Amino acid sequence: MSKIIKGPNTRELMEQMVQESEHLSINDRRDFLRKGVVAAAGIAATTFAGRSISAEINPANLPPNEPAWGKQLGHGVVEQPYGLPSTFEKQVVRRTVPWLTADSIASISMTPLQDLKGIITPNGLVFERYHGGVPQINPDEHRLILHGLVERPLIFTMEDLMRFPSVSEIKFIECPANGGMEWKGAQMEALQFTHGMLSCCEWTGVPLRVLLEEAGVKPEGKWILAEGADGAHMSRSIPLEKALEDTLVVYAQNGEMLRPEQGYPLRLLNPGWEGNTSIKWLRRLEVGDQPWYHREETSKYTDLMPDGRARKFTFVQETNSVITSPCPEKPLVKPGFVEIEGLAWSGRGKIKHVDISFDGGVSWVPAKLKGLVLDKALTRFSLVTKWTGQPWLLQSRSVDETGYVQPTLSQLREVRGGNSIYHKNSIHTWKVAPTGEVTNVQIT
Amino acid sequence: MFKLRDTRTSLIALGVGVSVAIMGAFSHAEPLGLGETATEEQIAGWDIDIRPDGKGLPDGRGTIEAGEALYEERCATCHGLFGEGEGRWPVLAGGQGTLKDERPTKTVGSYWPYASTLYDYIRRAMPFTAPRSLSDQQVYDVTAYVLYLNEIVEEDFVLTKESLASIEMPNKDNFFVDPRPDVKNTRCMDKCADPKKLMIAGTLKGITPVGHFVEGADAPAASHDAQMEKEREEEKLRKAHITGEALSTQHKVKAASLSELALAGKATYEGACKVCHGSGLTGSPKVGDSDAWSARIKKGMPQLLDHAIHGFSGDTGVMPPKGGRVDLSDKQVEQAVAYMVESSQ
Ligand code: HEC
Ligand code: HEC
Repeated sequence: MSKIIKGPNTRELMEQMVQESEHLSINDRRDFLRKGVVAAAGIAATTFAGRSISAEINPANLPPNEPAWGKQLGHGVVEQPYGLPSTFEKQVVRRTVPWLTADSIASISMTPLQDLKGIITPNGLVFERYHGGVPQINPDEHRLILHGLVERPLIFTMEDLMRFPSVSEIKFIECPANGGMEWKGAQMEALQFTHGMLSCCEWTGVPLRVLLEEAGVKPEGKWILAEGADGAHMSRSIPLEKALEDTLVVYAQNGEMLRPEQGYPLRLLNPGWEGNTSIKWLRRLEVGDQPWYHREETSKYTDLMPDGRARKFTFVQETNSVITSPCPEKPLVKPGFVEIEGLAWSGRGKIKHVDISFDGGVSWVPAKLKGLVLDKALTRFSLVTKWTGQPWLLQSRSVDETGYVQPTLSQLREVRGGNSIYHKNSIHTWKVAPTGEVTNVQIT
Repeated sequence: MFKLRDTRTSLIALGVGVSVAIMGAFSHAEPLGLGETATEEQIAGWDIDIRPDGKGLPDGRGTIEAGEALYEERCATCHGLFGEGEGRWPVLAGGQGTLKDERPTKTVGSYWPYASTLYDYIRRAMPFTAPRSLSDQQVYDVTAYVLYLNEIVEEDFVLTKESLASIEMPNKDNFFVDPRPDVKNTRCMDKCADPKKLMIAGTLKGITPVGHFVEGADAPAASHDAQMEKEREEEKLRKAHITGEALSTQHKVKAASLSELALAGKATYEGACKVCHGSGLTGSPKVGDSDAWSARIKKGMPQLLDHAIHGFSGDTGVMPPKGGRVDLSDKQVEQAVAYMVESSQ
């Protein structure tokens, strides 16, 4: 079953590497900034409060006894007209890192990737990013205005929009700041915080090009401004080519109307592009002949380079991947068979390969892509192997259909320095200790 | 005007046959006739965007003097008197020449390429707690003042449609279009790195909230609320340490002692009132601060409720009607007031 044969040589190598890493991490101290990082290559013994430990086990409910729930009736239909997860799953929630922002209203929360299966993110767990909180919009009072360089400016009700032939597509959405806290060093002690600004849903709506066709874009039209109806009136300039290619005007997600947090009743979706271009609570689309250079494409969402200059319109989310099991939240508990699993995605198309390394990137083995492999969607990968208590430096590396290979952190830092905040898609490392504990480390 | 590719051919290739021929008649070559023509008036009300060339700017005349007064009243609580930023709120001024530094300070003056962006952003989103509440004229004034704080214009500068579009921002030429893919990794499978040269650095313990999976973790709070409480407690401890004072626990909100009305108001308070009342922003009485509330509580619940629902301009600031959230019912506001009052006794 095991695809990896770990001879004694590899094992010796691993032990040597771990010893070295402890040594190096101390020397390395100076290289990291104030708050930054350091240490912890040496394993601080931590106890895991997984659910199985914190929840009391009542032997009376175990075989050969008939458990309590087998001796009584449960609740009937529509007790929960809108069903909720089991109360035993209450730890599966979005979480935030409060010191990142001044207030919860202009802030971000992350998806618990460590708890998810398959490629679809349940609606209640899709990561949140707001600039002025979540507006409560009455869909009957919501309007979308499409104007500017068009033959006929249009105003749509939700009913109008839902009469257009609809499409449904599975696409990921990712904040370009995903992992952005880790440019200068490993900072976040959990997968949810290193990679959780990422979700994937089936979105239903109308291709933007159908609406543009309805209004008739004038030949001078080159850019589109999309604007939200919320208090932040979030706005972004989007090139017309993208709008014609695959941008959607979306009203439903995973089979139901959008959640308020995701833009109810209407949002834009720019597949594969940085999440903030997918304007939520969409109320206005204006066609123009040049970009607007608004706050979210100048002050924010531009990438500062070491020479003091900055990249603008950094739209695409390049290929990225991460191992979701094991991870800090899901340590290895028992030696023996393990399925290493993770997620890979690319804003340029489909995932072609994912490789896994157990030794910090020295050698790699191909993983299997599981289930659906879709354009600009999360793709699950898997590798079945055995763990006998040896330390691992676990990494995953994705390759997309354009042939682009997920880069190393050193490669990114060499070109972009440490202050670009956005678009950190480098190979991620989990250090697995002989105890099974998993920690976030960086290898350079 | 562009045309969509006719969908007929591809569908026929899929062998969908007759139904396609019918659909074809409705295919997108002709508009579907959905939606109404938007009137100029409808568009004008929502068309708030400004471009670097000045397109979209309304008429107006902004002065530093008027802007200063407005800024101090409506912006300084968060952004600081000089744009230096209070606490974690955004810094608006300074930072020139820091973009190559280890810790660059990106501000309007040091980073933003166009002055038009400032007018546009303030008009669409600021002040944070009351977006779209400033007149176009006020936006001119306060924009002029923020530019002045950044030493981009002089004290006697007058900001108009024309003068705004002609301002050259210091960092204007330092933006370039995304050149990615900018790095090239290869799909090496073996001996891809020299294990002896690998450097490994771990995380600093205790800066992420990991209480949900690490037992006894000394990590920061998991919510903004709890974080604020934690910082307040730390500050109190620090002060008590300096003054040698005994710590009073009087200020702690005890959920158990709240009435049902008050408990029902917690969610409304958190969603609509806490932005100001959580920290004492804009001169609002801070929840939990009994000194700030005692005189107010003496006015009696009916009066407090009236002020909360209809707005109130007192000695310390302006309480907007329902805190700016006109979507709230009177009942919700009543519950929130009860929560705030009972938590501040
Ligand atoms: C309650 C606090 C608060 C007040 C009062 C406030 N702001 Fe802000 N301001 C913010 C927050 C929070 C942001 C960032 C919002 C986000 O992240 O989307 C911000 C962002 C800004 C920015 C963009 C900063 C950047 O670097 O991108 C400008 C400019 C600004 N505010 C101007 C103003 C002006 C002018 C006023 C007064 C009319 C004002 N603000 C009042 C909280 C405030
Ligand atoms: C934009 C900031 C802001 C928000 C949001 C806000 N308040 Fe206030 N509130 C104030 C200020 C400022 C005062 C003090 C006014 C004064 O006395 O000068 C105040 C005062 C009050 C008072 C005391 C009135 C009195 O007569 O002394 C009550 C009660 C109150 N607010 C309730 C609420 C409730 C309930 C909400 C949420 C629904 C809310 N506030 C939201 C700013 C705010």
